[in-house]
Amino acid sequence: MPRNGKLVRIILVLGAVAVTASFAVTAASAKRSSGSLKGAGSSFVAPLVNAWIAPVNSDLGISMSYNAVGSGGGVSAITNKQVDFGASDAPLTAFSPTCSTCVQIPWALSATAVLYNLPGGKNLLRMSGAVLAQIYLGQIKQWNDPAIKKLNPGVNLPSMAITVVHRSDSSGTTFNFTDFLSRVSGAWKSKVGTGTSVAWPAGVGGNHSSGVSGIVHQTPGAIGYADVAYSTTAHLDVFKVENRAGNFIIPRLANIKAASVLDTHPAKDGSLSIVNPPKNKKYANAYPISTYTYVDVQKNSGGSAANLKKLINWAVTKGQTYGPKLIFEPLPSAVVTFDKQQIAKVQ
Amino acid sequence: MSTLDTTTDDARRPLSGRRAHLGDLLLQGAAGLAALGAVVLVGLIAYKIVQGARLSLSTFGLGFITHVGWDPVHLKFGAGSFLFGTAITSIGALLLATPLAIGIALYLTELAPGGVRGAVTALVETLAAIPSVVIGLWGILVLGPVLRDHVEPALHSALGFIPLFGPPNSAGTGYFTAIIVLTIMILPIISSISRELFLGVPSELKEGALGLGTTRWEMVRGVVLPYTRGGVAAAMILGLGRALGEAIAVAQVIGAFTGISWNLFNPGNTLASMIALNYQGASSGLELSSLIYLALILLVFSVIVNILAQLIVRRVARSQGVVQ
Repeated sequence: MPRNGKLVRIILVLGAVAVTASFAVTAASAKRSSGSLKGAGSSFVAPLVNAWIAPVNSDLGISMSYNAVGSGGGVSAITNKQVDFGASDAPLTAFSPTCSTCVQIPWALSATAVLYNLPGGKNLLRMSGAVLAQIYLGQIKQWNDPAIKKLNPGVNLPSMAITVVHRSDSSGTTFNFTDFLSRVSGAWKSKVGTGTSVAWPAGVGGNHSSGVSGIVHQTPGAIGYADVAYSTTAHLDVFKVENRAGNFIIPRLANIKAASVLDTHPAKDGSLSIVNPPKNKKYANAYPISTYTYVDVQKNSGGSAANLKKLINWAVTKGQTYGPKLIFEPLPSAVVTFDKQQIAKVQ
Repeated sequence: MSTLDTTTDDARRPLSGRRAHLGDLLLQGAAGLAALGAVVLVGLIAYKIVQGARLSLSTFGLGFITHVGWDPVHLKFGAGSFLFGTAITSIGALLLATPLAIGIALYLTELAPGGVRGAVTALVETLAAIPSVVIGLWGILVLGPVLRDHVEPALHSALGFIPLFGPPNSAGTGYFTAIIVLTIMILPIISSISRELFLGVPSELKEGALGLGTTRWEMVRGVVLPYTRGGVAAAMILGLGRALGEAIAVAQVIGAFTGISWNLFNPGNTLASMIALNYQGASSGLELSSLIYLALILLVFSVIVNILAQLIVRRVARSQGVVQ
């Protein structure tokens, strides 16, 4: 299994890097740290938050740690005050029990990519929402199904079984993905619906985004979903997904930005929805499974309040410059303005 | 002890007698408290679980136990598919692990040359010390693909007429991978207990049998196995208990799918791994309560298994007139 050998090596190297990095962080913070902050949650936003750890330490003197336990885990953790901040791609209203004493702040913007593993290296195949829903409902089972062929004329699709891969834990990425499927497929909406975890009619589950991309990586014929950053780090192919204007769109920065225009004025609770923008010239290039993702903090954060405010202020301004490399589109200025009002509520 | 002391020399040792009495009281108090603590803890856990499960209990009643499905969006929950998954994986693991473990134990006690014996014993015991998350990681990265590419197709083509060995699943995660991982985890438990039991068979019995002209196999079958039957059964049940409750390694390799399939190569889920995967971030109070209901079922299951183990050990001990 040369591919798996490679994966193991990648994991070992990542582990070694993480250990060294944490040593470096502790060493540096011993010098000039003014505090530490602990966070947990979304694995979707984890690549960006992990990229922030070093600059947050050097710019703000705050040593930050982040545990990518999934959005559901993040909301539980902040509700029970086990962490200083939770991160979730689904708005707080999607959870019950939820954190009623929390402030919700949109702090990053990206998209859920539909990943696949098809031997023969055909990247950027075309996929429509309706066909994707049928695949996840278990109704389309083969790669050479007429519906997929029709979307990809001229492509020689093999007679290979599709393995549907979904999240096994409570996930904001699942919320984003099922929200999209519910909007494009009546059958999906009535049978399965939208949620952070749902009753999957087919497929196998992977734990966190890394679990889903790992299974897709080692399973020929698999289709899964995760934040775009995982498709680039794991070298997985992604679909161009059809939007309502009828264009097939790659999940990349410009197209996420085009979708973000749909909603730049958060509701009172801080939530925004930019899934499946309507048919309009303005959204001709919008990627339809884009999403804001949120940081949730207790209004009354006591001793960590000052550092938390510094951190989130940094994250929604300077922190955004670390985004594009990882395919996180910088926040629109209207959202940043709103975020600053939200940050002021934290005491 | 203290009664012996005081009767031997009343005049000279009243003080030491009193001290021994004090020691007895202290021992009784400390040991009694420890035992009481364990009982209270189990009671508290049971109370909390029943309390947490109350919402789900009153919503779904006993129908929850057999209902197959887990739908957080439409708020319909049931334990059916997880009970099925727990039963099929732990029984499967027990069926695979028991003959292997008895073989290992027999080899180590009756057949292995001295030098090999120590090394193999140490290695088998090391197997028990590997953290389950590591076995799970190995299961998903190494074992799963090997089973999927080689073992499952072979089993399907040879035994495909049995529904258990249906078409292989392409992800390499499913009941079968979980069974193999559980087998590896319970193997050292059963084999090390069996080894101790086999060592405890009186050598007069074994030598007597050999002296009567039996072969080594006849001696094992006629003396060692019958003599240790009850103990081996108890070891199997200990292994079963471990298999029932294992969450993390199973969660990594079973494929987390809610449903019942008789094809061992399909993904499924167990009670313990369902709880481990979903207790964080439940989307509703009813889902959280239903997860605790699953825990309640698992607890009742474990208690039944433990009682069964004690009954078996007691029955065999009575029939043999020895307590092992």
